[in-house]
Amino acid sequence: MSPGLLAIFFSAPAVLIIAATILVPFGMAVFLSLHNWNLKRPGRERFIGLENYADWLTDSDFWEPLRITFTFAIGAVILILIVSLLIALLLNEKFPGRGVVRALLLVPWAIPSVVNALLWKWLLDPNYGLINALFLEFRLIETYQAWLGSMPGVMIWLTIAYSWIHIPLATLLLLSGLQTIPDDIYESAIVDGASVWQRFAFITLPLLRPMLSIVIIFEMIFALKVFDIIFVLTAGGPADATNVLGWTIYTETFRKLDFGAGSSIAMLLGAITLALAILFYVFLDRGVEQ
Amino acid sequence: MKARARLRLAVIYIGAAIVMLGTVGPFLWLVSSSFQYERQLLNIPPQWLPNPVVLDSYREIFEGAVLGEESGVPYQSRIFLRSFANSFFVAGSVAAIAVMTGAYAAYPLARLDFRGRSTLLFGILASRLIPGLSLAIPIVLVARQIGMSDKIVTLVFINLSFILPYVIWLLQSYFKSIPVELEDAGRIDGCSRLQVVHKIILPLSLPGMTSAAILAFMLSWGEFLFALLLAETPASYTSTVIVSLFATDVDVNFVSIITAGVLSVIPPICFALIFQRYIISGLLSGSLKG
Amino acid sequence: MLRSFKFFAFLSVCILLLTTVSLAQDDGLKLTGWPYQVDVVTENLGRFTEQSGHDAVFLPFPSNEYRDKMVASFVAGTEFDVAYVRDSYLAEWAAAGWILPITNLEGADELLADLPQGIIDQMSYEGEVYGLPYYSGTQVLAYNQSHLDGAGIEAPPETWDEMAAQAQMIKDAGVVEHPILMELRSGENYLLRSLEIITAAHGGRFFDESYNPEFHLPDSPFRQGLEWIKANLESGLIDPASLTNAEVDTLMMAGTNSFMATTDYTLKAMNDPEQSNEAGNIKNGLIPGANDQRSGTIGYVRLYSITNGAQDMDAAWQLVQFLGGKDATGEYYVGKRWALEFGLGFSQGGLYEDEEVRNSISGWIDPDLLSEQGNYAISRAYRFVPFFSDWEIGSWGPLQAIILGEADADDVLDELAEEWIELKEDWGY
Repeated sequence: MSPGLLAIFFSAPAVLIIAATILVPFGMAVFLSLHNWNLKRPGRERFIGLENYADWLTDSDFWEPLRITFTFAIGAVILILIVSLLIALLLNEKFPGRGVVRALLLVPWAIPSVVNALLWKWLLDPNYGLINALFLEFRLIETYQAWLGSMPGVMIWLTIAYSWIHIPLATLLLLSGLQTIPDDIYESAIVDGASVWQRFAFITLPLLRPMLSIVIIFEMIFALKVFDIIFVLTAGGPADATNVLGWTIYTETFRKLDFGAGSSIAMLLGAITLALAILFYVFLDRGVEQ
Repeated sequence: MKARARLRLAVIYIGAAIVMLGTVGPFLWLVSSSFQYERQLLNIPPQWLPNPVVLDSYREIFEGAVLGEESGVPYQSRIFLRSFANSFFVAGSVAAIAVMTGAYAAYPLARLDFRGRSTLLFGILASRLIPGLSLAIPIVLVARQIGMSDKIVTLVFINLSFILPYVIWLLQSYFKSIPVELEDAGRIDGCSRLQVVHKIILPLSLPGMTSAAILAFMLSWGEFLFALLLAETPASYTSTVIVSLFATDVDVNFVSIITAGVLSVIPPICFALIFQRYIISGLLSGSLKG
Repeated sequence: MLRSFKFFAFLSVCILLLTTVSLAQDDGLKLTGWPYQVDVVTENLGRFTEQSGHDAVFLPFPSNEYRDKMVASFVAGTEFDVAYVRDSYLAEWAAAGWILPITNLEGADELLADLPQGIIDQMSYEGEVYGLPYYSGTQVLAYNQSHLDGAGIEAPPETWDEMAAQAQMIKDAGVVEHPILMELRSGENYLLRSLEIITAAHGGRFFDESYNPEFHLPDSPFRQGLEWIKANLESGLIDPASLTNAEVDTLMMAGTNSFMATTDYTLKAMNDPEQSNEAGNIKNGLIPGANDQRSGTIGYVRLYSITNGAQDMDAAWQLVQFLGGKDATGEYYVGKRWALEFGLGFSQGGLYEDEEVRNSISGWIDPDLLSEQGNYAISRAYRFVPFFSDWEIGSWGPLQAIILGEADADDVLDELAEEWIELKEDWGY
């Protein structure tokens, strides 16, 4: 069998499941994005080509949220990457109790989003919040703060809350990536007298690169689509400081019921994300193969 | 050398303690809150330990699950534990099917050189780049048109189509890290491609596949949007939907939400504990030597 | 590992097959809404079935996501016959044709005749009434009596300036740090609602009867209210939590604040010893006024509407009448039950004028002041045009920027007025 046929044969079940579920809805979203389609005005739907896209691209209501989305995503991806790499390295060491630590690491991820929202609201509350109480106890602040009330605090805390939920996934992936590095490479490096830092820089990091690239691509996709945490913690405020594209897509679609505008801005976000994913892939993953 | 080993362990345990504090700490506060009275949650400064220990919310949920309407506990508490069956079914099926089909789809992407490889790779991911919010209404519409709304099966398919791309990307990256020589050896021994996958690739990829399974389980266990939009009757509510039912427009029962949240964490953590022993270090080095 | 997965897959397929054998469809009426007291609703429906012979079942969805859930349900062709509706999105649902007018249905005249005009207005879109009330009420002033006592204040404030002065006294007395709470967060039912209240209390409104903007005019009541908020937020008399918190009323229960304009029924929780640390201390008063205006407020209505998915119009209308009107014995059974047992506002025959209802709520709210407050509720026709929420969503950011001193009020308000006029013309209003 030729490689192409083999590929079709192997990937058919998965691709069919994805296509059967997503293709028609995806097509509908594309279709809507090319139309003037406001549910509050039944009977007025009409094809307008790329007009929705042109409207967004010439509107600061697209560019400003895009800037905020990127600010958030870059901060979140970097924070997640650093923390989860550190944790993964730690949990890759053998020590008694490692299994339990690994499993408990997943706790933030397993908390239902509603409860997570409540948790962070309670942690950050300006009046009875735990972070205020804790920080005051350790004299880090002098009076209680409204953490989500102004920039840049609101963006910092959003990034932390978001990262807290996402670090387990990144750690899990990096950890499974670390497992692919054969122990004998380290052993021979130790014999050659390589320091801990040298081993990390010249063995771990290069060999972890495929998984690192996956983590970066995944986390970037997640972060650019951020919505849940905005919905519960800030609703885009204060003064639009956290008005990300995910929030705009939600208000256009579910609140203004303007499906044309909502779908087209979602497509734009999708296209930007795809471009970035390809870029990262070429730089990070391909580099390894050659 | 012995002192060094002890130092190493000390550093590891301090690190692990910090990690646990960061990940499990906030969760422990949730646990502590679930044993308090509603009004105690508003105490200033916050009350870290429950005093007295109040078991009412747990009692309501368990009594309600066992006795049903006779228990006299509120509707939401009554149906909560029963919804675990739905959630577990969705998450379990998604994890199993995603890893099985995803592994086959990932193999050619990792190993075979065929035209359209990159297109397939990014085509699979493309469906995930559009925010689910803008696909939500088309999906609900299609599901209803073909008579698939209000069915748990539909939720399995939707979650699968969302999670498969991640699983495929993860596994293809993982497969790449398995030395080609091992596979070539198998080919020389007369194995077909399928046999190579079954006998060499899959067993060596256990850490990666386990991570993928945990990823799939967690993501579909916590999925809320589609679980809500596709449900029409309580028979198809998943646990995440019911946790949100405790907010009722007129009042919010915070302690019950928190208790439900604490209980929701248990199944996925058990799942992770059972399967994560397959994330074992040194699989590859062993086989290289062998 | 592989074996475990194979087992899982096998199990999954088995259950998949089992669940696809769908249960027999029942033909009863389907009522949906947010999950307040599900068992009571179900009990009421039992009574309906007994009286009418129609089966009916209540299928609730999470309150915070109810609106979104229903949008998806309506677009896909809803399976529900009757749905709860909040007045804040009534116009949109009516414009989209998702809920049906009841004005001309048999028996509607008689039931509507019992309702105050203000309530009917808040259930109407383009001259048609779209349902009957579930519960309704007004925004009232909630204040903490013990905080007032602590600062030696005798009576709650009658004007906004007086409220600021009293807040300063409470702060100076060391009772609490930021005495005033307002709902200034972005999102439906927060910022704009608070601004509507303070505008009404200054004797003004956002838009006139023909939907022309008034809020942006020089020295308008809206501007005065906005200025008041800005100044007091800056001085710290208004709690900064106002800008961020979704459940501001929990702060009244925590005891960190002294004044808040809030929905009437929240006083019940504020005075409930199981939920509140300030139970018994929270009193209701008239929202303060300004410019010779004693007070001003806005009302709210939650209603039952027939959806466009109703299979049997006749049965659905019977259900709406039973829930929002009278039952077969000619009594306002459901509405009265909500009022008596749960303290939800009952508007038939005048809000809170029923003696029995007044007695039952007097434990946590003063019914006289509550009904007096109701007299100051302004009519808000502009809320019931389909483009209001389009404008509202875009207004949160700019208005917060004014309040925070990040933007110039003149520029922003003119721009917001222009946006409104554009929408208005576009929609042909």
